[in-house]
Amino acid sequence: MSIRGNVAVIGVGMIPFGELFEKSFNDMAQEAFMNCVNNVDKGFDPKDIKAAWFGQWSGGGMIGQGVLAGTSLATILGLRDIPITRIENGCPTGNDTFRNAVIGVASGAYDVCLAFGAEKMRDKPGVESLVAAGGGGGGILGLHPSWMLGMGGPVLQALYATRQMHELGYTMEDYARVAVKNHHNGVACPYAEYRFEVSIERVLNSPVVCWPLHLLDCCPQTDGAACAIVCRADLAKKYTDKPVYVLGTATGVDYQDMWDKHSFIEMLPTIKAAKAALTMAGIAPNDIDLAEVHDCFTNTELMNIEDIGFCKKGEAAALLKEGYWNRDGAKPINPSGGLKAHGHPIAATGLGQICENFWQLREEVGQERQVKLKNGIALSHNVGGGGFGVSAINILGREP
Amino acid sequence: MWEREKITQPAPASPLFWRLNADVYQLLGAKCPDCNHITYPRRKICPSCGSFKVEDYQLSKSGTVHTFCINWTPPPGLEPPIVNVIVDLDGGGRYQGLLTEVANPEEVQIGTRVQMVLRKVMKDRGLDIYGYKFRLEKEG
Repeated sequence: MSIRGNVAVIGVGMIPFGELFEKSFNDMAQEAFMNCVNNVDKGFDPKDIKAAWFGQWSGGGMIGQGVLAGTSLATILGLRDIPITRIENGCPTGNDTFRNAVIGVASGAYDVCLAFGAEKMRDKPGVESLVAAGGGGGGILGLHPSWMLGMGGPVLQALYATRQMHELGYTMEDYARVAVKNHHNGVACPYAEYRFEVSIERVLNSPVVCWPLHLLDCCPQTDGAACAIVCRADLAKKYTDKPVYVLGTATGVDYQDMWDKHSFIEMLPTIKAAKAALTMAGIAPNDIDLAEVHDCFTNTELMNIEDIGFCKKGEAAALLKEGYWNRDGAKPINPSGGLKAHGHPIAATGLGQICENFWQLREEVGQERQVKLKNGIALSHNVGGGGFGVSAINILGREP
Repeated sequence: MWEREKITQPAPASPLFWRLNADVYQLLGAKCPDCNHITYPRRKICPSCGSFKVEDYQLSKSGTVHTFCINWTPPPGLEPPIVNVIVDLDGGGRYQGLLTEVANPEEVQIGTRVQMVLRKVMKDRGLDIYGYKFRLEKEG
């Protein structure tokens, strides 16, 4: 059985992302799941879920728990009689968790599956939070510590940003413009963490985190949870008259270590995942109405737009200046506010993008931020993992 | 917490360190005869093409800056600003590291010539751990 058109999304749910000191991991997870179940159009009994995938990146270190595994989600959601597998695949965990649930349905093994992601990153302060999770570039795969000295999330992307400026002529002002657009989108999105505008001047005057990236070029570390229920397309109408269909799903990988990369102006994981997902969907990038792409740093969004194929390499910044990627532009990118303004609770991020695309395709986000639909097709994308070596992409459509 | 750290953190004499000695200090990498990819540290399987025939390859200590950034928020234990670089080594292969002895980070550009020098890079329970950093190549 092929995947395209044979798997439907019948419900999604999330909570507003943010610094949720008042909520525990369990609170967030349960609220997102209840939002999802309670909002399935024709009602939904959680007992219909036959298997679940639990996206979880930090593994419990940040909330003082040993291990988060399938059993954790079973207990949190009261789903003790189905198989549940934890997925950890770096920043693409959310989109990859969704992909696994989709494969669960498409394989014929299960009629209905749950893709779930939650992350609690703010109970510890910034640097400590990433160190607690073993992230930030320290000590992966038994590499000698001297090779990883001084690495960290912003460094990984700043090394790309410098090279993009060198080879493509991009400027810090171009990068700042991404923040301006995504903050503007975030203002209107009720689920976004940051709901304030920024100007180019404000971005460029914010503290330098890692030249050429400023504080307001960086996405936040966020608490959040999001999920989606997928089922056999021929069963979807039992749950809703407006299912959204999975057209393409793919994960791409490449080298983990920075010194093996062939280029610092493009990311092969994204290029591979995009090619595979678009081929499965049988469409071209131009057929897509809107996309949520991984803007963990502002320069990354420009790179992703090009790598997915929405424009040629080196053209994304000029098109941004023209308003091409705006919410009311020709190709809206990150109408939710993106990681930059919507927040980045790692395993929940991709599933949050899928929630946004589901609601946009069903025209349920309200007039102010509804994007214009032509073909009724939306794409979600993450890239990350060790050395930005993993990407996952899902393409959803109103028609199977 | 202290006890747990003690058990889980590799000690300076732990297998991780001596196993990588030749790679770290003699700069031995690997080159694949099938696809010519040069990688570091040495591996038994080429990460580029999957070939099993990789051979030891001596990396050079000099090269040019391929890309860099000026890090004002380094991890604990390092004083900002530090300059992270990825260097195209003469003779092939790349090396990721830090610049040392730069008075002014603005002196660094893509294409700047650099040279490896052995420096103390960290302390682990009272013992010094050495590794390579880069400094700007002297004129002439």
